[in-house]
Amino acid sequence: MPTEQHNTAGPSLVEHGPAAPLAPLALAALTVAGCSGGSGGGSSGGSSGGSSTPPPALADAQASRFLSQAAIGHSRADIRSVASSGIDAWLSAQFAMARPQRFWDFLVANGYADPTNMNTQSGFDAMVWSQLMGSSDILRQRVGLALLDQWVVGIDGITGSWKPFTMAAYLDVLWDNAFGNYRDLMEGVSTSVAMGLFLTFLGNAKANPATGAIPDENYARELMQLFTIGLYELNMDGSQVLSGGAPVPTYAQADVSQGARVWTGYTYATTDNTTPDRLRLPMIINATRHETGATSFLNIDIPAGTSGEDARRIALDGLFNHPNVPPFVGKQLIQHLVTSNPSPAYVSRVAAAFADNGRGVRGDMQAVIRAVLTDAEARDDSQAASTSFGKLREPVTRLVQWARAFNVTSPTNLWPFGNTSSTANRIGESPGRAPSVFNWFRPGYVPPGTTVERNGHVAPEFQITNEPSLIAYINYLHAVIVNGAGEAQPDYSALLPLAADSQSLLDELNLVLAANQLSAATLAKMKTALDSIAADTSAGLNNRIRAALTLVMAAPEYLVLR
Amino acid sequence: MKTKRTTTITRRTLLKQASALSVAGAATPFVVNLAAMGEAAAATAADYKALVCVFLYGGNDYANTLVPYDNNQYAIYQAQRPGLTYAQSALAATALTPSLPLPGGAQYALAPELAPLLPVFQAGAMGVLLNVGALVEPTTKAQYQAGSVRLPPKLLSHNDQQSYWQASSPEGAVSGWGGRIADLLQSGNGTATLTCINVSGNAVFLTGRSAVQYSVTPAGPIALGTRTSLQGSTAAAALLQSLLTGGGPHEFQAALGSIGTRALDLYDQVSAALTQAPATSTVFPAAADPQSTLGAQLQFVARMISVGSQLGAKRQVFFVSTSRFDTHDGLATLHPTLLTNLGNALRAFYDTTVELGVASQVTTFTASDFGRALTANNDGTDHGWGSVHFVLGGSVNGGRYYGINPTLANGGPDDIGQGRLIPTLSVDQYAATLASWFGVSASDLATVVPNIANYAGSALGTNVGFV
Repeated sequence: MPTEQHNTAGPSLVEHGPAAPLAPLALAALTVAGCSGGSGGGSSGGSSGGSSTPPPALADAQASRFLSQAAIGHSRADIRSVASSGIDAWLSAQFAMARPQRFWDFLVANGYADPTNMNTQSGFDAMVWSQLMGSSDILRQRVGLALLDQWVVGIDGITGSWKPFTMAAYLDVLWDNAFGNYRDLMEGVSTSVAMGLFLTFLGNAKANPATGAIPDENYARELMQLFTIGLYELNMDGSQVLSGGAPVPTYAQADVSQGARVWTGYTYATTDNTTPDRLRLPMIINATRHETGATSFLNIDIPAGTSGEDARRIALDGLFNHPNVPPFVGKQLIQHLVTSNPSPAYVSRVAAAFADNGRGVRGDMQAVIRAVLTDAEARDDSQAASTSFGKLREPVTRLVQWARAFNVTSPTNLWPFGNTSSTANRIGESPGRAPSVFNWFRPGYVPPGTTVERNGHVAPEFQITNEPSLIAYINYLHAVIVNGAGEAQPDYSALLPLAADSQSLLDELNLVLAANQLSAATLAKMKTALDSIAADTSAGLNNRIRAALTLVMAAPEYLVLR
Repeated sequence: MKTKRTTTITRRTLLKQASALSVAGAATPFVVNLAAMGEAAAATAADYKALVCVFLYGGNDYANTLVPYDNNQYAIYQAQRPGLTYAQSALAATALTPSLPLPGGAQYALAPELAPLLPVFQAGAMGVLLNVGALVEPTTKAQYQAGSVRLPPKLLSHNDQQSYWQASSPEGAVSGWGGRIADLLQSGNGTATLTCINVSGNAVFLTGRSAVQYSVTPAGPIALGTRTSLQGSTAAAALLQSLLTGGGPHEFQAALGSIGTRALDLYDQVSAALTQAPATSTVFPAAADPQSTLGAQLQFVARMISVGSQLGAKRQVFFVSTSRFDTHDGLATLHPTLLTNLGNALRAFYDTTVELGVASQVTTFTASDFGRALTANNDGTDHGWGSVHFVLGGSVNGGRYYGINPTLANGGPDDIGQGRLIPTLSVDQYAATLASWFGVSASDLATVVPNIANYAGSALGTNVGFV
């Protein structure tokens, strides 16, 4: 397909976008559910009764559940916003929102471009947390994190100076393209210095007949295996194509070796390393080191003499148009946002939106995101009673959700949460610090020896869940709930008036944090426990709030989002 | 080490213990699996043995780990990866003099960074295994080319070959051979859930059909900080523990409950036992690779082994790991650092087992995604298949090579191109040999390594004899 088609994808497509056929159905279902569902809160509802006020588009609990899937974290105000505007309008508004600040600009604005930082990681974690916890584009933050979970780069796996800037430029590629076209994302990543360093094709050279050296195969392989098509041919519903009962490999080693020829000649745009600037310039191709012989992989043919830039375009177009891409990408996005084990029909609906946004455009991410989040399977509130639907909340989203729910701010932009990857005293995951291109967890991970395994399901986030990481998460969450992190402090003032009545306090936390998915039995136990804390002093009230938060965020009914 | 239990434990006693456990069983989804209980286990569980898997994530480069040293092989090595080689003269100090020389005058040296392992090899406590890798059945190049042989799926893919090494199945595998060994032997342990211990996160290697892994950090298990009081409330603290262990009707909630239950139930027992660990004087050098905790992980394994009797443990399987071996780049710069780190850690761990008097009861072995190509990609090497591995311990019949020395070449009889070796010693044979030493009977081997029968009558047989 000609590349110019997708280049037309932009905000103007949004209003009448691809998912339009799905949205009315989903919203109709929601409206019905909204009438009977009830928010369960009622503690602060002001607009529910008035006959002159239009009814909310959906109940608070539905809005909270939606936001738990769509947003990096959310506050009471975000719930009100979605409940009143409805999902479709909220998505459109989020799609249209310009990025308040880019990663790169955070580093510059906060002085990290100083030469004394050239060989440190100073500013990196602060930059990441400032976006995840502080930036108002909460849909983009969530999708960006999901993209980073697939298109992995970890700061400890890159070399060179100014590493936070290398990472900033890379994260900006993901975040900038989160609502754009997947083909542009492929281009941006494939020319980013960060990926060039992480998967070692910056400096890659064509074959050398004198020494026998061959091109580095790293990026060629993972671009296919992890970023675009995967290992086996897929049907649109994500299932494997079978031939004689056996899955059909998408490529062989020869395809990897051939594909590697495309990724030769890559280097920095300039040799000037005195400032970080070259790290956000696309890599350039040194023609003398680029392979110009004829190259053929998959069904992609690159004639002899093709320039490096044209070879990249042909290779990426070929991969982008591979029939695996829609289900491969679509299913992973579902897994990151909504449920670890989507039905084949759900995958196929999302894949269809990827393949064609309704206007003939392939790879329109807004269409894909809309399809993921408005699908009837995602919006079915009866899933809250399911014994298999949903996902284990990713640890980073739990921490960020706490911060967002209680308006954590960082007055001097230190965001001192630091590296949270320790399984001994943090949350066992830290954004932008994945140990390898296989990320913290894999979409196909099965926790062995569990009911999940016996049911034939996957549970990706369980790959980083074990005895130490579970306890460390509780210990760390409790610590930040009580103490914040340095200058980054929560604001519990909205909870204070509720704390004298444990039930009211729990109802509020259940709604905001758990989308009302804590059971009555669990809430009753929590109420009894909280009532053991006297509420007749300010200290007592504060203890109740902190104990309640810790209990809610430790509850399996919270940790598993349905 | 401390006095070992000498009481002969009968199968009946074991069963009694096992059922007591499952009743008391707060511990786990522990299932008494009579069918899986091996005769060997029940018969001889009076001693203590540990298997320690050292996984090198990323795919370790074989030719810069065990370096061709004789003139013929060295010339090929140098031609295939100019700029990435050790100087032949730099290898003299670590050249191996095996008790059984290789055919054709082939000689190897350890990479100089592995010098700490040389005395262990020469003392006969380390074996070197040549061209080990994942197979389904014995595989020749002709069969490979003709497509007439069953092959492991997704060869050369990191995550899948990590999984295949550990489990004989690609990503998504549900049991590994360490865990399947434990299935047969865990009933002999005082606490079944302390049979498979992971000091490095999660690995399918340590999960069996009934055995489950118990994960700890190199500093030991993690204490729940709010165990007795949550914001001043004992009731809230009690509820917190109940939430952590309670699970729920959802399959993910249930899985969380199992993890939380193990974490809370085993913390007191393990941490109390560890206070009894004898002081040791062997020094674990500081990590040469700042991103690696391999030394600390192995040091913790040694501490656990030293309190095996306090924990009532007879058979334990440990998993430790270190990463960054995916040297597409920086083979000449990063890889030596990784080897220094590995050599130091393995040597210190071996020395500690000697100091504790348990060297002959502990067998340590390396594993990795795959080997790498012999041919360079300029400044590194790409994914391969067969590789070299080390086995260490007082019971190892060391000081020599095991397996078949491959022809080093780009497109020779033993590689699929670029020196990506077709293994001649399968992971199944490797596993079966270790399992047999550990006490798995011949009749039970197929439950551990289902494809082992494919190697009956092969050149190396089903027991390679290195331990």
